[in-house]
Amino acid sequence: MSFTTTSRVRRLIAGALAATVVGTLATACSTTSGSSTGAAQEAIPKEDIVLVASVINLTNPYMASMVEGAKALSAELDVPLKIVNSNGSSQTEISQIQAILAEGKKVVLMVNTVASSDAPPIVNAVKAAGGYVTIWWNKPDDFEPWTVGDNFVAFQKHPGVESGRCTGDALADGIGDEGNIIALPGVQDSTTSQTRVAGLEDALKDHPNVKLLEQRPANWDQQIAFKETQSLLAKYGDEIDGVWAADDAMMLGAIEAVKKAGRIDDVKFASDGLYPPTIEMMKSGMGDDAIVGETFHRGYMAAATGLYTSYLAATGELKVADMTKEQRNSLFKISCVTPENLDEFTKYDTDVEGWVKQLVENGPFDTEPATLIGQGPEKLPGS
Amino acid sequence: MSDLKARPAPDAAPAAPASASRPRPRIRGVGEVAALVVLVVVFAVLNPGTFLTLDNLRTVLDQAALPLVIGVGATLVILMGSIDLSVEGVMGAAGMTFVLLSANDRNGLDLGLGAFVVAVAVGLALGLLTGLIHTLLKVPSFIVTLGVWYVGLGIATLLFGQAAIPFLTSDGLTSWPSDTTLGLPHSFLLAFVVVALGALVSRFTRLGRYAFAIGADEQIAQDNGVPVGRYKLYVFALAGGCSALAGIVGSLQLGAGAANVGIGNLFLTIAAVVIGGTALGGGKGGVLRTALGVVLLTVLNNGLILSGVSPNIQSAVSGVVLIVAIAAAGWAYRGRLRIAK
Repeated sequence: MSFTTTSRVRRLIAGALAATVVGTLATACSTTSGSSTGAAQEAIPKEDIVLVASVINLTNPYMASMVEGAKALSAELDVPLKIVNSNGSSQTEISQIQAILAEGKKVVLMVNTVASSDAPPIVNAVKAAGGYVTIWWNKPDDFEPWTVGDNFVAFQKHPGVESGRCTGDALADGIGDEGNIIALPGVQDSTTSQTRVAGLEDALKDHPNVKLLEQRPANWDQQIAFKETQSLLAKYGDEIDGVWAADDAMMLGAIEAVKKAGRIDDVKFASDGLYPPTIEMMKSGMGDDAIVGETFHRGYMAAATGLYTSYLAATGELKVADMTKEQRNSLFKISCVTPENLDEFTKYDTDVEGWVKQLVENGPFDTEPATLIGQGPEKLPGS
Repeated sequence: MSDLKARPAPDAAPAAPASASRPRPRIRGVGEVAALVVLVVVFAVLNPGTFLTLDNLRTVLDQAALPLVIGVGATLVILMGSIDLSVEGVMGAAGMTFVLLSANDRNGLDLGLGAFVVAVAVGLALGLLTGLIHTLLKVPSFIVTLGVWYVGLGIATLLFGQAAIPFLTSDGLTSWPSDTTLGLPHSFLLAFVVVALGALVSRFTRLGRYAFAIGADEQIAQDNGVPVGRYKLYVFALAGGCSALAGIVGSLQLGAGAANVGIGNLFLTIAAVVIGGTALGGGKGGVLRTALGVVLLTVLNNGLILSGVSPNIQSAVSGVVLIVAIAAAGWAYRGRLRIAK
């Protein structure tokens, strides 16, 4: 008995060791092969190009919107499009992108990476295949496009700190500059969530009478946000005057929990993303005008901007070597939305094709409302 | 459910002494009850004024409702010595089906009670599919249900589509789970009924007794004329039905359709089954024990939140509790070679 146990343990350890060695070798190999090719930028004929948009999943409305934008750009440019659904898994994402690269057409990629750490393997694979990639939202801070070469065209995102400041200010004002709020961040190690929370905390410095009671990460998920809010309502009861969420899916879950607790007329909400149901709720004045602050940015704008940036590099219309650092590690404008200025932003969603046409006319950096406003990486307040 | 051959329930409550041929409830479970009491006392001391309030009690019961319902099916499956990992997928598929067939803001459909029936049927069908693959193709339940989990999630994702989130438009419908009767939320009352039925089925029907027999020793059961394959089918279908019901209640709670409406429920339910004392190898345990396990874990989660424990530590604590419970449950058998199915 003891003999078999020891030998099994030994085998397990050996197995784990072998797996680690193979893994390390594989990474080393892909890194070396990546850096040896794809040096100079050559114009690729349009008919050799396939657009690829890689999204984290297809159940989140933001991701669905990204797909919509990619489709609109594909139609506008008359270039075929493939969608990669990562299903929340880095492994799925990377292997699907590799499969498309192996098909032979020149890949023009926009990828919303599942995790920051996915960026290097994806970029290296695209570079080895002579394609062009723009990454949205997540990459390691020290992994810069200009150190990789022309094939990693750009990294793009909306500033999270600005989003948190917008919504934090609006929420504090919405509860009369005095009272208690709770916050629902997204996945805890997501930089997007961290920057938004940092923005919220920074905004609250100007509102000393507004207290952040507690933060409970709700993983960007409506259902989890519902449960967390339910628990926080049980804990703090009537003390809660406002709920801040790092994105609208979570806010919608929180709203449902507050409704069920019978407090929808007493609690204010602010969040990021201005989802279509949020627009409806703001228009109808749900609760006692419960939603007081939002931000406007769109998945279709992000995806189309990212894809178009890659496309221009592939066709040679954009000389990557001549692009500024701001254009290669970019922060795009995010707009603060309140019930008062809501109407300025609802017009875009009814005409996605029209917006994409404008994008193709004005270029990726100058199309309102998501214009280029600065260079990343984003600085956290106080750092 | 006519297949179940349910005999009329005896007049007495299920806890009443059964005839000599039926196994008496042993006085195990005392440990779990003691643990629950300790938790309640500790959290009440740590959180005076918040833990032992009516509002919090309602919250705990509302949050326990889903795992209680799922736990009934999961317990029967585990009693047979199998496992059902498809819970979250089935919940998603049934939940989305229910939302899209009820009054919602995506399409004009409103089948009323029909939506409920179709959604439960989706769960039964997925459970039946699991059972068929498991029994006919002799694929271990572990791997079949893992597959069906993703099939269910796939169906849910397809139904969710790429349009806006489908919201339920009837306020009467969405407020049903949290509305109270006799001070208790409807979601919990429903779960209570399901658990009571589950306990009766497992104690007093052929389906329940055969589940125990199959789990104790499938070969002996077969040799004694138990139609093992058929009853496995029934149990998996029943488990699918329970998951579907939980998916419907979850969607009602959320007031909207979500493919991942079941998120987190698999871990919680399996943990509750094990903590309740149902053996993963099958043959021993029961629905009521699982219910106790669910309440224990829900109180633990709720108490940790009220006490302000960081969410990271909280998930680690849940994991440790599960492992300790399994180790404790298997302590007596650790010397023997047992095959975990």
